[in-house]
Amino acid sequence: MSGEPSGQNIEGESPVSEPVVETDEATVTENAELERTLGLSGGLAIGIGTMIGAGIFVFPGLAAGRAGPAAALSFTIGAVIALLVALPTSELATAMPKSGGGYYFISRGLGALAGSVVGLSLWLGLVFATAFYLVGFGYYAVDALGFLGIAVGESLVIPIALLFGAGFTLLNVTGTENAAKLQNGVVALLLSILVVFLGFGILDAVGLVGEPTTPERFAPYGPFPILTTAALVFTSYLGFAQVATVAGEMKDPGRNLPLAMVGSVVIVGVLYVVTIFVATSAVGSNALSLAGETAMVDVGRELLGPAGGFAIILGGLLATMSSANASILSTSRAVYAVSKDALLPGRASRINLKYGTPHVALGMAGGPILLLTATGRVEVLAEVASFLHLVAYGLICVALLALRRDEPEWYDPDFRVPGYPVVPIVGGVASFALILFMQPLSQVLGFLIMLGSAGWYFYYARDVKLKGAL
Amino acid sequence: MTRVLMPLAVLEGESVAYGLMDLLGTMDVTVLGYHVLPEQTPADQAREQYEERAVSGLEDTTEEFRKAGGAADYRLVFTHDRQQTIERVADEIGTRAYAINGATGDVNRLLVPLSGNVAVDRVLQFVTELVGDRDIAITLFLASESDGADGLLQRSAQRLRDDGIDVTTERVVSDRPFETLIEAVPNHDAVVVGEAAPSLSQFLLGDESERLAAASVGPVLVVRRETKEDGAEE
Repeated sequence: MSGEPSGQNIEGESPVSEPVVETDEATVTENAELERTLGLSGGLAIGIGTMIGAGIFVFPGLAAGRAGPAAALSFTIGAVIALLVALPTSELATAMPKSGGGYYFISRGLGALAGSVVGLSLWLGLVFATAFYLVGFGYYAVDALGFLGIAVGESLVIPIALLFGAGFTLLNVTGTENAAKLQNGVVALLLSILVVFLGFGILDAVGLVGEPTTPERFAPYGPFPILTTAALVFTSYLGFAQVATVAGEMKDPGRNLPLAMVGSVVIVGVLYVVTIFVATSAVGSNALSLAGETAMVDVGRELLGPAGGFAIILGGLLATMSSANASILSTSRAVYAVSKDALLPGRASRINLKYGTPHVALGMAGGPILLLTATGRVEVLAEVASFLHLVAYGLICVALLALRRDEPEWYDPDFRVPGYPVVPIVGGVASFALILFMQPLSQVLGFLIMLGSAGWYFYYARDVKLKGAL
Repeated sequence: MTRVLMPLAVLEGESVAYGLMDLLGTMDVTVLGYHVLPEQTPADQAREQYEERAVSGLEDTTEEFRKAGGAADYRLVFTHDRQQTIERVADEIGTRAYAINGATGDVNRLLVPLSGNVAVDRVLQFVTELVGDRDIAITLFLASESDGADGLLQRSAQRLRDDGIDVTTERVVSDRPFETLIEAVPNHDAVVVGEAAPSLSQFLLGDESERLAAASVGPVLVVRRETKEDGAEE
């Protein structure tokens, strides 16, 4: 790439860059090769495993309370926006199949300032998302205890979430052997639970089995709540971008990256929309809303009796756990990508000699995650996570437009967005627009974090240049 | 000369046993320095921290192989999956065999099992090249559940004798061929095996050559199955 990164941060560190050759099976640098070990199923498992936790198991109650049965439409809007962003992200990822994902594309397409803001925001966005998953997990854990006959009440939600948050961080520092295989198994199990459950739910909803339910008005609160709900539940779709962060480790990236990203959005999107439809048909949106974060357990009970409730509790525990774990894992990769470019101290990406894990970066995630989990504010945590990701998604679309406008020589993606330039333009505008429908508190917090990230760049690394050949 | 791949966990201080290095003196060697990372560590991140140390270790080992005989070079790979890396590199450079490190002194006698579904021709050809004109004796070993493979054993022994190699044969009828093979390992300094076709037991119990290496302590040379490229040439 011409226009190599240059400059120094205030500690005198420079961006690390070396000529590399990307093949389908390895990344070859001057002295070493980096094996690509993730296949398509591994990529899909990362995408689906990160996404499936929140959308299905935590949001139905909250979303139905806001938008009624039209919450299904909110999820559809989220899926469409995610898809519009996943396509440009796929193109960029096949052109730059490196670790770092969204941050990497933006910093190379739009320069170091935008890169810093997005890099730090994505890291904190993952921190907020993880805290959100953990609180969701806490609610399910309390329900699970209740199911076993140990009534503990909601006062234990946060302590349980904190305990497991600390546990996951520790697990990641000391090495999660075979975590990816475990993740594949969890995703497969979740998908089977959901397919059986939804299959039965659809039969029930169209009136073939079970008791007929009173029909509801589709959008009892009008169109505006549909959009604010879409902004809230967009957190459900953050996982596809995590696939891009492991682009450097995926075999045959030209084929597998687009398939894994677009595929996981489509699969998860369909599951969400059908789930909301089934949930609102089975118990009605009022009852869902009253049941809150674990409303799906009531739906399970309504459709399939205690066994259904149990299956959903199990699914909810597994799903929120796998989302939380996958996100903690991703934070360290986000920190690494940024510190490699000298936008954070190089120390942040040191690897632990004993376990071979990036303990500093994981610690930088674990601390703030626990702090945020302690607030227990599900909706705010989810929205801030969405806010920070949406900004990055919008900028990914802009970066694609910028790169395509005067294509540098090194830019040679294997996958090109169909419908260019409409898709990235609509994707970018939709991403930014969705932010406008969030609660003011989330908007202010997200904005402050971006401002802080920009401030950090000017204080720490204003001389660092990252822009590619533009 | 034929090329052998020598995988080495370079950052864990693994070094090639003196006897193995000597044994491979008739071969060209590619030392494959690898470092296996936990999933949460990107390969690139580890490279940044460890590359220098790994390269210096690999250069030393490669130099020793050069002194022992053949042309030697090295590759360095950071990976999450050791076996995938070994297979990819072996394919890329077209090696006939790869070595599994193990402790041994001077190599005077090799154990060459022909049990199971292995490409006997390729194994024998490799053994002939490996031994060369050195004074290394071979035990051809065959364990199976039924009688009737004696012909193979005798033909193979004759073929090696024709090349001037000192051969002993050992034939065991057993319903536990693998365990019988392990029992035959003492009195041998190294083992040369053919890579078995992928099978259910391999999937369940792990690769047989790896199990053999673990059970025998000494080095194991694994002669690879025929690859597509070989087929095209022949």
